[in-house]
Order: sequence, then structure tokens, then C-alpha cells
Amino acid sequence: MAVLTATTSSVWGLIRRLTLILLAVSTLGATAPQEYQVKAVFLFNFTHFVDWPADSFESADSPFVIGVLGQDPFGSALDDVVRGERVNGRPLVVQRYETLADLKPCHILFIDRSVRGDVTRTLDTLASRHTLTVTDFEPGGARNSIIRFLNEDKKIRLRINVDSAREAGLTISSKLLRPSQVVGNRGAG
Amino acid sequence: MDKRATSLRGQLIRMVLLTSAAVVLLTVSSLFAYELVTFRQTSRQQLGTLGKAIAANSTAALAFDNADDAETVLTAFEADQQIVGAALYDATGALFAVYPKGTPSTEFPAQVQAGPATFRFEGSNLVGYQPVMENGRRLGTLFVQSDLREMSKRMRFYGGLVALTILGAGLLAYIISRQLQHRISSPILELAETAAAVSERRDYSVRAPPASTFELGQLTDAFNYMLQEIQSSEGRLRTQVDHLNLLQNITRAISDRQDLSRIFRIVLGSLEENLPIDFGCALRLDAASESLVSHAVGPASEAHRAALNLEEGASLSTTSNGLAACLAGKLITEPDTRTLRYPLFQKLAEAGFHSVVIAPLFAESTFFGALLVARRATEAFTSTDCEFLKQLSEHVALAAQQAQLHNALQQAYDDLRQTQVAVMQQERLRALGQMASGIAHDINNAISPVALYTESLLEREENLSPRARQHLTTIQRAIEDVAGTVARMREFYRQREQQLTLSRIDLNRTIQQVIELTQVRWSDLPQQRGITIDLQTELSPEPAEVMAAEGEVRDALTNLIFNAVDAMTEGGTLTLRTTVVPADSSDEGGRVRIEVCDTGVGMDEATRRRCIEPFFTTKGERGSGLGLAMVYGMVQRHSAELEVDSEPGKGTTFRLIFPSAAQSLSSTMHLPAAQFISAPMRILLVDDDPVLLRSLEDILKTDGHEVTATNSGQAGIDTFLASNSAGKSFSVVITDLGMPRVDGRRVAAAVKGASPSTPVIMLTGWGQRLLAENDIPPHVDRVLSKPPRLQDLRLALTEFKRGERPSGDARSSAVVVA
Repeated sequence: MAVLTATTSSVWGLIRRLTLILLAVSTLGATAPQEYQVKAVFLFNFTHFVDWPADSFESADSPFVIGVLGQDPFGSALDDVVRGERVNGRPLVVQRYETLADLKPCHILFIDRSVRGDVTRTLDTLASRHTLTVTDFEPGGARNSIIRFLNEDKKIRLRINVDSAREAGLTISSKLLRPSQVVGNRGAG
Repeated sequence: MDKRATSLRGQLIRMVLLTSAAVVLLTVSSLFAYELVTFRQTSRQQLGTLGKAIAANSTAALAFDNADDAETVLTAFEADQQIVGAALYDATGALFAVYPKGTPSTEFPAQVQAGPATFRFEGSNLVGYQPVMENGRRLGTLFVQSDLREMSKRMRFYGGLVALTILGAGLLAYIISRQLQHRISSPILELAETAAAVSERRDYSVRAPPASTFELGQLTDAFNYMLQEIQSSEGRLRTQVDHLNLLQNITRAISDRQDLSRIFRIVLGSLEENLPIDFGCALRLDAASESLVSHAVGPASEAHRAALNLEEGASLSTTSNGLAACLAGKLITEPDTRTLRYPLFQKLAEAGFHSVVIAPLFAESTFFGALLVARRATEAFTSTDCEFLKQLSEHVALAAQQAQLHNALQQAYDDLRQTQVAVMQQERLRALGQMASGIAHDINNAISPVALYTESLLEREENLSPRARQHLTTIQRAIEDVAGTVARMREFYRQREQQLTLSRIDLNRTIQQVIELTQVRWSDLPQQRGITIDLQTELSPEPAEVMAAEGEVRDALTNLIFNAVDAMTEGGTLTLRTTVVPADSSDEGGRVRIEVCDTGVGMDEATRRRCIEPFFTTKGERGSGLGLAMVYGMVQRHSAELEVDSEPGKGTTFRLIFPSAAQSLSSTMHLPAAQFISAPMRILLVDDDPVLLRSLEDILKTDGHEVTATNSGQAGIDTFLASNSAGKSFSVVITDLGMPRVDGRRVAAAVKGASPSTPVIMLTGWGQRLLAENDIPPHVDRVLSKPPRLQDLRLALTEFKRGERPSGDARSSAVVVA
């Protein structure tokens, strides 16, 4: 397995890619929630790569809150993911908000495309409130969510707006930045 | 040298090379091992570190399911060429991403177990599992596989380096060791070569060249010193061996020499040739003058003798020449004679002999001479030489002593042999004498009647014709000579004459008698054989008077005439000569010389020398070998001298030289014959010989005696006893001594037993032996020898008739005159 020729490598790459495609098709073919199960895991994983300032928590033992705004696409998946998990010793809590009005302070907020119309407002509201905003669509306004899920080649990719993150007072691990598309002025901040 | 044995050079080089190779190998091996260990550790650590870094970078890719990104992250392994493969597994253990990109998943473990970070070597590969953790959560596992190509590459490099190092070190070591070896081995090899040269050529004068290094220098010095020692001791040994050989040769040469001069000449000659010396002289001690006498010199030294005043017999004073020490037994060594003032050494110095050694010669602790040896150079005699000369002088002294002993022994042996011969002759004479005694007895018995009757006839028959009277006188003289001859037979076994009765006789008259007596031999018998012997007498005009026993002289002359006649087998001239040599001032006294000369065959020197030995004869069976012996015996008894001149073919002269009678002091005068007859007596005669008995009876009866004759001892005794008891005793008894059964002694004993006063006259036919031994038996008053002379018998009878005891003198004279 020392050195593979380019040809061999590309052949193997093709096979691998086909395999992945088949896998993805099968996943898609099952249910949409499959996609959201992945996204639920991602949401949970964000807790590991982002640093929240201490004052974003009311107390030392205040829970880490993941909020879902709008119609919940995850079903029970998100709950399943966070169950029993702790972040920096804090328990994880999932909160669902129907509307903007229901919105409460949270550390991660997934904004469903069902509240697409309010998204600019929401983002503005949360701009400096230490909340990692996540969307799976393009908000289209002046202000973007910090992380956006992209469907790329049947895989879920991340686009991170470092300006928004800086604005929200969050530190995103460079590790997270590696596999993601980064927008905004990364160097400033 | 043994070629199979490794050379020192090779050994040294090999040693150095092996040592350096071992050192290099050990060093490199430990470096190698260290390198190997550290390399593995480093590889593991590096892989661990890299794995950790990659794992840390892979967290997001795993967390957000981004395989592409994961693979990108994994491309960081490109930095390490050794990493041949890497893979990321997700939290469930399923394969997530691989490196290099596109590697088939079969190349990796299909599934991994969650576990701690482990890095281990599997075969030639280093395999590691690194958990991918984020905030304590395990996101997956990183698998890394690294092969050890690098290591083996490095090892190969090291191997090459090691080989190069060893090669270089070896080369260096070889060069260095060659240098060192040269410095070490060359002196040793030179030593070995020197030793080989010494042992092969036996040349101890070679030396090993000096070595550069200290220890080898010491070794070489020690070796050279040893050689020097060996050389000098070999030299000493050689000298000693030479000396020993010389000593042995000399000793051998002189061991069988008995002549002292020859011994000395041999010794000195050997010394001149072999020691060598330039001059050698043997000196002999003259005890009387306490000086040393030059005795012998070596052959080469003869030329210097005169110059050194050492001619044979030349005397050297021991005191004035400083030789006293030599007499005391000390070896004198003079290294330079020029410094000495003694005349001997000055002479030596003048002759050019500057070193002198004088070795004393001792026999049984007595100094008897010395050996003087000289060399021209000064201080030329070493202590070894002196020691040798000392030993030599001992040997020479011993040889000289042995020679003397040998001579003494030879002398003793000769004496002993002569004694033995004399004893043997004595023994033969004794045997002969015993035989002669028996013969004498019988002859005396036989001639007794002849003597008695002849004497009686001459005395009583007055009307005898002059011719008959002369014949009777000749018969009487012949009888007397027979009796005398018989009586002298005993002289052969008797060493000395007890007593010789000498009378003054005129040798001229004796010669005439002898000529008359021997006429038959020198005249009649030769004429019968047809040869003529001319007898001439040259007698001195004056009487040749000497003191002698006439019978002996007569016998001697008879013998000489017989010999002369026997020597002249072809005839010749027999000369009898007497010369009277008067006494002169220088001589002690006068001499009378009788010469009996013949012109016969003569004698050679050997015969002449032996002719007077008893039993030596040239006449074979005819000769007794006693004639000249008897002549010599007579000569000795008369203090006369016997000279024999003889030349083969010319003739022989026997010369008897007597002292003149005037000079003779000891003489026994003849008693005048008693011509009277005693008054008639009654005589008993006892004799077993009837003829003698009868003649005695006749004679005694003629004298008027009454004679009773008995023919045995027993008959005599019986007759005597019978007549004695009858009162008619015999006035005298005459008895024979030797008779069968009862002999004269028993007759005498019986007569004396019956009548002690009756005289007994004993007649003995045993010659004069009995009388000479003074062995007069007991009971016998007078012994008369046979044949009895009438006069003696009458004298004895007259004495007894007068009743006189015969005096000792009278008896002895009567006895002696036979």
C-alpha cells in the first residue's frame, strides 16, 4: 500500500464516490429526517468547537440551551442526541420557539426555514446576544446567520460567517473553520 | 627459524589490527544499537506526536462528517516519508478517511476498537492507533502505519560508515603497527640473528647492535653482556681444556718412561711446543751442596743453555738466586726478570727471557728438583698458566717418583730372582750333597783297604824297587785325592767352609804333580784320537809359595787342565805358567799367578760370563757343570782371584792369583806325623764291611796288636760284653758308624755302659760331614774318617795307650787333616 499510481487512485476514488452516492441516495430515499438527524448531531457538535463567554450563562450551573425557532424539523432526533450529554459540566437543554416572540435566550439557535420571513429580524435581535445562529437557507438580508448548513453533493457542509460570529461575541475554533466555508473578514477580529 | 611459526612482525600487526578492529567494532556496534533503539523510540515518538497533531486536526472533520477535509488533514502525513498509510475511523469504528487518497480500504483494518493511544512495531512496520478526542469526547480513531525504510536506510548508511571506519582504522592501525613493530621487532630480530650467528659459528665475539627503546636496549645490553661472559668463559674453558689435553698428553708420554732425564726432556719438549714456552729447563736438587743442578732442557732450549750458564750439571745456588721459596714448595713467578738482581734472572734477562716461572717438584713431601720455564715477553704467564704448571709439576714429580720406584722395584725383583736362583741351586746342591754323602760313604769304605795296604807297604816293605815305590806313592796320593774329592762334595751344599786348613805349598811342585796325575787326559787319550796336545810349562824360577789347601788347588788345576784339553779338539798347545809378583809399595802384598792357557775354541762373551755358574756346561752330557764352579769355590776360599780371558777361536786363559805365602797370616801348621807305634793293645774291631774289616785287622795285627774282628754291631757288643765279663776286657774299641740294625752309636753306648773307661774310636765313611758339624756322638772318644790313615790310627791308639785324653786342639787337628 505504499505508493498508488494516479490512475489507481482515481479509479478507487471513483468507486468510493459511487459508494457514497449510493449511500446518500438510500438515506435520502428513506426520510427527510435522516438529514436532520445529521444536522442535530452537528448542532450538538458545535458546542465543542465554539467558545461561549462566561456571561452568556446566568450561573455556574445554568444549562446549555439549544433552541429551535419555527417548525421543528428534527423531531426527536435532537433530543436523542443531547440526552445525557453535558457541555463543560453543564446539562444540555433543547428549547423550541414557535415564533420570534417566543424566543428566549439560548446558546445555539436553529432557525427553521418556516420562519424565513422573520429571519432578518431575528438575526438582528440576536446579533450581540452570544447566540450561535444556524440556518439551512440563505437569509438574504444584510445580516447572515453565523453558520449555514449547505447541501453539497448529498453531504451537509458548513458555511461560517466569521463577522457575525465576532459580532455575537463567540469564538469559533479554527478546527471548525477548517472543514467549513468561511465568509467575512476572518482576519479582522 | 621455523617458518611455520608466525613471525613477530606478523603477530604484532595482527595484534594491533585485531585490537583496533575489536575496538572499532564494539564502538560502532554500541553506536549502532544505540542508534537503533533511539531511532525506534524517536520514530514512535515522532509518529505519536504527528498522530496526535493530525488527530487534533481531524476532530472537526470527524465531528462534521467531512471526509474530504479529513483526507486533506491526513495529507499532512506527506511530510513524513516513512508513513505509508493512515486512516481515520469514526466514533463507531468505521473507516472514515484514508491516506494516501484513494487507497483501497482493504489496506486498512476494517474496524478499530476504541482504546488508548498505542504505537507498536509490527514486523518491519510501526503501527499506531491514536484516539481523536474533542473536549473529552471520542470522535474517532486515527490509524497510522509507518514502515522502517528510513531506519534501514540509515542502518545501511551506518553500515557503510562502519565498514569505512573499520577499513580506515585498520589501515591506520596497520601503518602505525608497522612503525611500532619495526621499532620493537627489529632489535629482537637482530638479537635473534646474533644468537643464531653465535650458535651456528660458535663465534662469541659478535654483538647485537644497540636498540632504540629502553627495554629492548636493556635486553640487548643484557644479551651482549651474556655473550661477553660466554666469550670470556669459553676462552677460559678452551685454555683449560688445552691445558688438560697437554697435561694428559704429557702424563701419558711420561707414564711409561723410567729415565728421569727422558721424562724431563719429554715434558719440556711438550711445553715448548704446546703451552708454548721459549725456554724450559729441569733442575735437580743436589742435597749435599743445597744447590740446584741443571739436569735437562727441552729440545728447542738447547741453543740457549750456554748463554744461561745452564749446561748440564751446572750448579745454581738456591740462596744466592732467590730460590729458597721454591725449596719450600712455592711456585716462583717473575713477571719481569730485568727488575731482579739475582744472577740467574739477570742471565735470563740478558738472553731475552723476561717472564719466568719456577715450579718445584716434590716427591713424598721432599723437594727434589724444579721446572724452570721462561717466555720472552714480560708478564707472559697468566694465573691459568701458573696453575697449569703447578699441576704439571705435581704430575712430573709423581712420574719421577714412579720411575724411581719402578727402578727400585726392578732392582728388588732382580735381587729376588737371583736369590731364587741361588736358593734353587742351593737346594739342588743340597740334594746332590746328600747323594754325594752316600756315595762318599761307599767310596771311602771301598778305598780304605787300598789306603791302608798302600801305606803299610810303603812303610814296611823296604826292598821295594824304586819304580814300585814311586807307583805306590802315586797310588797313595791318588787315594788321598779321592778321599779329598769325596770330602769336598759336601761343599756343593755348604755355603761356607767352616774351616780351611791351609799349608804353605809350592805351586810349582803342585803343578808338576797335577801334570803327572792328568797325563792320561792330555797325552794318552788325545794320541789315541790322533791329535797332539803340546804341554808347555813356564814356571817361575823361585818357589811360588802360597798358603793353600793343596788338595783343593790340585783339584782346581786338574779341572782347568781337563777343560783346556776338552777345548782343544783339534789339538793345540797347553801352557801352564806361574809368575811371582813381588810386593811393592803401592800394592798390599805379593802375588802368585797361575795361568792355564789353551789354544782351543775359546768362549764367547755370554759363555765366558756364565762359565763359573754351577751346572753350566758346554759339554752336554759329558759335563757336570761343576768343574769351574769348584775352581771358583776354591779361589774364593783362598781369598784368591780368578780371571778368564777368552776369545772364540783363539783360546782361553784362566788365571788364578793367590796372595803370596809371606803375606798369609792365618795358617795352620801340619802336625808332624807320629811315626811311632803304640805298645800292643787288645782291640775290638766292629765293621759290617768284610774287606775293610779284614784290612784293618791285618794292619793292626802287623803293628803287634791283638785284634778281635766282628762283622756287625750286635756281634761286637756281644763279644765285648762276653770278654768283659770274662775279665779280659778290650783296651780300645774301633767301630764303624753306619751299620745295619745296630749302628756304631749303639755299640759305643753299650761299650761305655759296660766299661766307661774303655776308649771308643769311631770310623765314619760319611766323609767329614759329621766331623765338620762337631757332631761327635756321645760315648765316642775319637772319630776318624774313612779311609783311615794308618798314622792317624796309630796316633789315637798311642794316646789312649798312654791314658791321655786327647786335647781339643789335637783332636781337631787330627780330625781336620783328612
